Amino acid sequence: MTATQPRPAALAQDREAETLAPERGALPSTARARSRQVVAALVGIGAVALLARAWRLDNLGFNSDEAVYAGQAASLAGNPGYVDMFPAFRAHPLLFQTVLSPFYRVGDVDVVGRVVVAVFGVATVFAVYLLGTRLYGRRVGLLAALLLAVMPYHVVVTRQVLLDGPMVLFATLTLYCMVRFVESQRTAWFVAAGGMLGVSMLTKESCVVLAGAVYAFIALTRKVRRPVRLSILAIAVTAAVVVAHPISLALAGHTSTGRSYLVWQLFRRPNHGMSFYLDTVPVAIGLLVVALALGGLWWLRRERSWRETLLLCWILAPVLFFHLWPVKGFQYLLPVVTPLAILAARGLLGLPLPRRLSAPRVAARSRLVAVAIVVLSLVAPSWSAVTSHNTTTFLAGSGGVPGGREAGRWLAANTPPGSVVLTLGPSMANIIQYYGHRRSYGLSVSPNPLHRNPTYVPLANPDWVLRHNELQYVVWDAFSAARSSFFAERLMTLVRRYHGRVVHTEYVDGAGADGNPTRIPVIVIYEVRP
Amino acid sequence: MIARVTRLSGVALIAAALAVPPAAPPVGPAAVPPAVPPAVPPAAPPAAPATTTPIEHFVFLMQENHTFDNYFGTRPGVDGIPVGTCMPVRRGTAKPCVEPYHIGNQGSLDLDHTASAFRIQHNGGRMDGFVEGVSTQGKDGRMAMAHYDDRDLPYYWNLADEYVLFDRYFSSSNSGSIRNHMYRVTGGPGATGRAETIPPNGWGNIPTIFDRLEAAGISWKFYVENYDPTITFRTRLSAPDVDRGAQVIWVPLLGYPRYLDNPNLFAKIVDLDEYYDDAARGDLPAVSFIAPSGDSEHPPGSIQAGQNLVRSLLNQLMRSPLWNSSAFHWSYDDWGGWYDHVAPPQVDQYGYGFRVPALLVSAYAKRGHVDSTTLDFTSALKFIEVNWRLAPLADRDRKANTFLDAFDFSSPPRQAVLIGGERNPPPEIRTRSAAVYGSYAAVAVLVALLVVFAAKDPWRRRPRVLATDPEGGGT
Repeated sequence: MTATQPRPAALAQDREAETLAPERGALPSTARARSRQVVAALVGIGAVALLARAWRLDNLGFNSDEAVYAGQAASLAGNPGYVDMFPAFRAHPLLFQTVLSPFYRVGDVDVVGRVVVAVFGVATVFAVYLLGTRLYGRRVGLLAALLLAVMPYHVVVTRQVLLDGPMVLFATLTLYCMVRFVESQRTAWFVAAGGMLGVSMLTKESCVVLAGAVYAFIALTRKVRRPVRLSILAIAVTAAVVVAHPISLALAGHTSTGRSYLVWQLFRRPNHGMSFYLDTVPVAIGLLVVALALGGLWWLRRERSWRETLLLCWILAPVLFFHLWPVKGFQYLLPVVTPLAILAARGLLGLPLPRRLSAPRVAARSRLVAVAIVVLSLVAPSWSAVTSHNTTTFLAGSGGVPGGREAGRWLAANTPPGSVVLTLGPSMANIIQYYGHRRSYGLSVSPNPLHRNPTYVPLANPDWVLRHNELQYVVWDAFSAARSSFFAERLMTLVRRYHGRVVHTEYVDGAGADGNPTRIPVIVIYEVRP
Repeated sequence: MIARVTRLSGVALIAAALAVPPAAPPVGPAAVPPAVPPAVPPAAPPAAPATTTPIEHFVFLMQENHTFDNYFGTRPGVDGIPVGTCMPVRRGTAKPCVEPYHIGNQGSLDLDHTASAFRIQHNGGRMDGFVEGVSTQGKDGRMAMAHYDDRDLPYYWNLADEYVLFDRYFSSSNSGSIRNHMYRVTGGPGATGRAETIPPNGWGNIPTIFDRLEAAGISWKFYVENYDPTITFRTRLSAPDVDRGAQVIWVPLLGYPRYLDNPNLFAKIVDLDEYYDDAARGDLPAVSFIAPSGDSEHPPGSIQAGQNLVRSLLNQLMRSPLWNSSAFHWSYDDWGGWYDHVAPPQVDQYGYGFRVPALLVSAYAKRGHVDSTTLDFTSALKFIEVNWRLAPLADRDRKANTFLDAFDFSSPPRQAVLIGGERNPPPEIRTRSAAVYGSYAAVAVLVALLVVFAAKDPWRRRPRVLATDPEGGGT
């Protein structure tokens, strides 16, 4: 294949032109026109990002994690409907829940939390533009923002009340501060990066792994200033920020909460195989995006600089850590989307073209077509995820749970307050507690404290509890049953033993064995009695 | 059954189908386990004569053998055990005496509760023979002074907090179960004279409240726990398990030839399981009488088992579509030999007997109300007669007070709330939100200042070599 030389100067020229741009008031007319085009493009990208994150946002109710975070926010806000159901302190720091809490002060609310996360997601798109622009120029910044705006992985996660969406915004800002530090070598930017990393960790403590990325970058990049005093200062700032969590725990009288959870996380059993991330994340990011990021590193290797080192460190640190960490979650690798989008945009704009397409206009059109293909390859799965009710329902962190909200609300409307519910697992118990305002226990929660999330309350003897009228409803759900046939069978044994009557069923539409449309029960509520 | 429908992807479909319990077919509505009966939509309310109150379903349970002081004597705000009470071991002799005490883990006894025991304990209104009345039967008389409290009866005490507790509710007869149960259904003692037995030929033509209901076309059922329809007045003495013969005492209709021989009437005496189904379907009759079996709280049986039975019955009623038009009332058929400090009024030669516990639970019941109206079992008959406009059965129910004052019909019905079985649940630890907001706000301000400071760095140094250009392999 004949190819034009990669254009090492193109991206640098782009950056240079922007760096040298005069003050706004002194812009010549062409520069003003370009500036207006950029603003228009950004508005368009922002609109697309918002549309992807807000379209049919209320289609499905919360999943378990969303219910917990929203419940914490409501509890923190003192919402009487949730205070007794969800302790404010559970597993993670509370920065995001604190931001969320004013929206949950009164009433039964859910979707507003997703709106807040969607706004965080759109803000991340703009932050990626800033970062991409600073690293490789406006065109890369705009394209990276566009890729992130429609990237299924980011779209799906930032449509849920999860910590990862906000955390990635702060992680991106941390990366931005790092870039400013490297560019300017100003101490203040490194300290700001330390502070922003602390904020990321206050959003989700697993972000501590990005400190490893910073360390790796500094260790691998010779020309970055790295006096010990500077590092100590930045670490001290990070610590000063992070310490807000233990301080608030202590002031609120919950010092053991975080400790118990950490111990459990360290020793719990793996929940997925080693190939989990390889199977799920590249597809969700977009295979073309991954290929372009990697390819760009190759065909733009002559432009290799500290920038790629920094972005690669930002990717490899979480990937390696979470690959080895026994507990895996679909959304855990979300911080890699920022550097991947920028590297992919860089690779796409530096895509080597055949010689016959090297004429400037033809090359520009060819690149436009390539951009369109990549963007469309992301839009299609994103649209599918947004419009489909449950294409990835059975993977935690990938969306809402069909019927969960409706089952919970049915319980709230049709059962007396004070009713207690037994579910198959703690996930459905969280959903029922959130929407149903009924105390719920998961049958599969182990009575052994070493084998359960410390925030879950086990039922040591469900049979005894049912016999003594302490439980009035049992909820079977297909999602938990698919994970544990043992507990599904145990649950049904209890239902039969305690005169279970079906009082409500949630269905999904599907196809039967003969291929004909049929309704499949996914959640069944039983009334039980001794 | 209500259902909502969403769409399922292929992957989800397979997973859901696999997850359906193995006893069920893989797809379709029948995937719900077939061994579990589906709920039937609530039936239309039965046509019945209009009631004089919003109560269209009245449930009356009779437990066994406790006094008011035995269950609620230490409860604040009621006519409970007087301070300084000490019951003489011998009547008329102040010392030695036995003070009321909490029974704790001590097992209870079936204390003597015959008419003769009543006479000793009552002692002509002096109420000083409770220890002697028991000890003369060769049992430990001190046991009569034992009492329970909220540690033993948390559910009942919780109910009393929310609904109505009666503290002048007397057993109708100053003797044992047979007369009291007859008062419950006929307004009279049934067996007259000294003998307190079921006549060999049954109760004959003594009218019952169910005769009145039947004649008026008002629905009724008599629910019996562990019901054995073969045990009647004709067979009870020859039954292999003589204890099961108590079924005929607690269900007086089984002592009536006409109720046994008329299939239509006999079919209305049913097992207690039907109560749960009827309540769940919204198909309870207008009047339901309930008789327990092993869960009657009759000493030395477990009072916790009795509480559990009442809780099951009430939980079902509270989950029923009929809750807003129902009232649930229960009491205890006699005093069981236990101490109670209130001398019962003498209304005729048979009664009253000592006070017994009694509660009323209804969507219209006053909240946490202690009703001190003088009542007895015939007060429940009076309520039925007033509510459904029926003629009195006997002199007692004609003259009885009823418990209409325990209701508040001027307010809308109260929402059912399932009452817990824990008396003093540990208080929830409330999070001091201000500490959380303060901590995180301080952090936000700090980091914002750092970023602003970096952007406008007044200590700006001269940029060093690295700056903006690509390194060209400098990493």
